[in-house]
Amino acid sequence: MFETLLIVWRESLEAALIVGVLLTYLGRSGQRSGVAYVWAGTLLAVVAALACGVASNDAASHLDADLQELLQAGILFLAVAVLTWMILWMHRNAGGLGGDLRRKADAALARGRLIGLATIAFVAVFREGLETVLFLWGVLVQRTDLTVLPFIGAGLAGAALAVVTAWLFFRGFQFLSLRRFFRVTGVLLLLVAAGLLMSAVNKLIGLGYLSPVAAQVWNTAWLVRDDSPVGAFLGALVGYRSRPSLAEVLAFAAYVPLMLWALHRADAAGAPVERASARTAA
Amino acid sequence: MSLRTPAAIALALFFAAGGAAASEDRAIVLAVEEAGFAPSEIEAPSGARVRLEVTNRTAAAIEFESFELNRERVIQPGQTAAVYVSGLGPGRYEFFDDFHQQRRGALLVR
Repeated sequence: MFETLLIVWRESLEAALIVGVLLTYLGRSGQRSGVAYVWAGTLLAVVAALACGVASNDAASHLDADLQELLQAGILFLAVAVLTWMILWMHRNAGGLGGDLRRKADAALARGRLIGLATIAFVAVFREGLETVLFLWGVLVQRTDLTVLPFIGAGLAGAALAVVTAWLFFRGFQFLSLRRFFRVTGVLLLLVAAGLLMSAVNKLIGLGYLSPVAAQVWNTAWLVRDDSPVGAFLGALVGYRSRPSLAEVLAFAAYVPLMLWALHRADAAGAPVERASARTAA
Repeated sequence: MSLRTPAAIALALFFAAGGAAASEDRAIVLAVEEAGFAPSEIEAPSGARVRLEVTNRTAAAIEFESFELNRERVIQPGQTAAVYVSGLGPGRYEFFDDFHQQRRGALLVR
């Protein structure tokens, strides 16, 4: 039963952290119009995961296992693309939001951005939600009497614990100054995107479409084990794995500096505009 | 300002690497039964590209997982998943069913 709780905690954590960072960012930056979209994406994903999880247990509707995995990799790449775009506009926004937050409160978000927010929430929750549903469905199938109830309870407790973990983590963020808050959430989202990219690359390697280049670059299991609470947390947040392949490390090493460069370029391009608007305001 | 071009180039490089490495695959059939993995120990030569064909013969979803192999796959009842591993050095690589952790096995690379 404790195992059930732990498994569901681990499966739900990534979703809770990603939804958590979006809600925290929107709340703090006064862009509350986006909150409903994040929740809509989340709820839709829960419903979709339940529907797919239950439907996939009907043998006739089985999609080939490897095709499902390829689909997952594709969804991950889509998530990385949307997240990349969001990180860039969030970064551009942050400059304007620093000054007078109250005046900017409830700033309207363009429709595309709202859909982007809902998409990220949907992908994060659907991916992990489906695994959780499949796992719990398995528990349900194996026990057809009332002894299943404590296990379902443990599953729900695990999901609740994941939400609490994410909430506690982001509570710490409220003590940051607004300027630092934007910087920290920006870096965090960047690492989340890099982690999802590594997961997608890992799936393609596992499917035999990509070479790992080198099977194992290093082994940090002595420091943080994959199945320790810290390893699970880092795994959910930034895709930590103790024994990554070179292809995954290369994906990370290509993505992060590229994004930092893009953000830096956005800064350089945005600076004269900010100065000009500051003069106008004065 | 677009990131798509560099990202596409990076992706193309990875796929090219995958194609170049594709040589003779060694297939190993592995079943997950209620009692555990069958067989619970499998062998492969070092450096080979191995395709593990993992079939879930139980009534519930399983998750084939290995920290040593850096792989995880959820497999539904009755389904078979291909899990590739390649370029492994000699050693013992353990795997387990993350959804039922008493089911354990290992890949011995010589």
